[in-house]
Amino acid sequence: MEEKQPVLELENVSVAYDSEAGMVQAVNNVSLKVYENTIVGLIGESGSGKSTLGNTIMHLMKNNAVLTSCTIKVMGQDIYRLNKKDLRKFRWSQMSMVFQSAMNALNPVLTIEDQILDVFFSHDKNISRKEANRRAVELMDIVSIDSVHLKSYPHELSGGMRQRIVIAIAIALDPKLVIMDEPTTALDVVVQRSILDKIKEIQKVKKFAILFISHDFSLVTELASKVAIMYAGRFIEITDSHSLSQSERHHPYTQGLIKAIPHLTSEDVTIEGIPGNPPNLVELPSGCAYHPRCPHAFDLCMRERPETRLVENREIECHLYETVEK
Amino acid sequence: MKQQTTLVEVENLVIKFPVRGGDRKKKFITPVDYVSLEIKKGEVLALVGESGSGKTTIGRALVRLLKPTEGNIIVDGKNVNTIKGKDLMNYRKVAQMIFQDPFGSLNPVKSIESHLKFPLKKHQGFKGLALDQKITDLLLQVGLTPVNEIRKKHPHELSGGQRQRLAIARALAVNPQFIVADEPTSMLDVSIRAGILQLMNELKRDLGLSYLYITHDLASARYFGDRIMVLYGGKVMEIADSKALIKNPINPYTKLLLSATPGSDIKVNLKDMNNEAPDLSEGRKGCPFVHRCPLATDICKETMPDLVEQKENHFVACHHAEDSIEKMIFN
Repeated sequence: MEEKQPVLELENVSVAYDSEAGMVQAVNNVSLKVYENTIVGLIGESGSGKSTLGNTIMHLMKNNAVLTSCTIKVMGQDIYRLNKKDLRKFRWSQMSMVFQSAMNALNPVLTIEDQILDVFFSHDKNISRKEANRRAVELMDIVSIDSVHLKSYPHELSGGMRQRIVIAIAIALDPKLVIMDEPTTALDVVVQRSILDKIKEIQKVKKFAILFISHDFSLVTELASKVAIMYAGRFIEITDSHSLSQSERHHPYTQGLIKAIPHLTSEDVTIEGIPGNPPNLVELPSGCAYHPRCPHAFDLCMRERPETRLVENREIECHLYETVEK
Repeated sequence: MKQQTTLVEVENLVIKFPVRGGDRKKKFITPVDYVSLEIKKGEVLALVGESGSGKTTIGRALVRLLKPTEGNIIVDGKNVNTIKGKDLMNYRKVAQMIFQDPFGSLNPVKSIESHLKFPLKKHQGFKGLALDQKITDLLLQVGLTPVNEIRKKHPHELSGGQRQRLAIARALAVNPQFIVADEPTSMLDVSIRAGILQLMNELKRDLGLSYLYITHDLASARYFGDRIMVLYGGKVMEIADSKALIKNPINPYTKLLLSATPGSDIKVNLKDMNNEAPDLSEGRKGCPFVHRCPLATDICKETMPDLVEQKENHFVACHHAEDSIEKMIFN
């Protein structure tokens, strides 16, 4: 595994927003490698910077966002060194994205067919209409929607179907990396489950890598093999997802999250909230950003930001584990 | 469990909404179709269902934000079905609602204090120092501290969790016996949700409140609800004690819902499942789940099954309940 070239490589990525209150650090020095044929989950509360990171990888940042330092490589290609023309080509053919509120990501005045074909025509000038049509039908087949709906407009489809169409468009050009930003948030549980099963199935066949952004802890742990947990713009823990269900050593925030979620089947149904509120990025707490809410915090946490350290294969940013292992 | 008295009793509740038909005729949909339920004093009934199942409509009818088309709502011995004017105002002291969206349910130009002042003055007749003290008490009770700072703030200065706490305080201001909580945690961050549920649990314990807890999340329904009622297409599919329902669901729809919830033991392949929404039109026949149900037969298309007690306190509306108990139907 280690020798392979990662599909996505983030190295010390920091993103700040230029606001009236000064520069607001939304993503702070994060590093991550995503390999082919894996699903990596990215968990965080609102304002933790997870969507900003997703948009940054796609080179789709808003105007007032500034990438302060970084290398973002997709398939070994630093996407911030591409010129505009090459970037347009690169985007969607190598990496694509399923957007948040994807139910509204489709153009309401164009048919589904127009919107799928648009992807083919804009990336390959030589493709024939017939060939493009054939591939559109194929795509609809992959996401299990009858191809009669190619002629439909988005409002004629249910939320779940629209979501499938958006996924179909994202995988149209066989990208190596698909970023999914809360793809199932607005959907009912049963529909959500069927979409997730579909995503898993397609991923198994096409073997692309997925960066799955979500705030739903139990959903991500089920889907992804590796999970990065984000708090106040930093990865406070990167871990294998199967270890999350066990009572192993984690970052206190991770432990708090595990305790805060009522479990469906376990006998014990007590839950415990995390005290305090998510941090305000304009005035981040000193040292470790989690210390005002952390039950284990001691004076060092207030003064110094902890380095990332390896605890039983998990990368954890916490002073608690300093003495344990290096 | 000791014998408790019934606080809320709903009999054959029907709610219709007019929709415009194609041929200019007035048509109706019935998002709530002959629903009966009962909530005891100090009990939490969790109402679980997908969007469009009618759960919010029932909640709104119970606090009389909506007028039921048919049926009876009896709260604390009084029929509140058709009350209006002064009676309705008095009923507000008994039943209160906590809304889903704490960003939309508070007045942005009013201070935190005045959100609580109004109900305390109008319904409880508090004045002067006593009013001040009562506001402090309420804010402390819901964990909004430091009180003296918070009370002068405006809603935009509070986080989502704090706003929802204020919404709870506002509901508590009239000293109600019954609270309808409509997905109170769904707009909040995961780390905040547990705190709100804990708070509602404490209030239930300390004040003996009854709740109708509306949610789409079975896990939190199990945590907070004493009993769970599963709704689909405006019909009750199953009611049972929370533990029993999660452990041994009987209705095929409950099984489907459970299998779709992350963290459940049941694994189902749903990728090619028919996800069509249920028919809500007036005068529909049969079980609303029929077009998705693996056990469906002709009788399901024709008649809606009655709620039958399959096990102790475990009511199921399904023609094939016995089959469903025996078989693992989603495999």
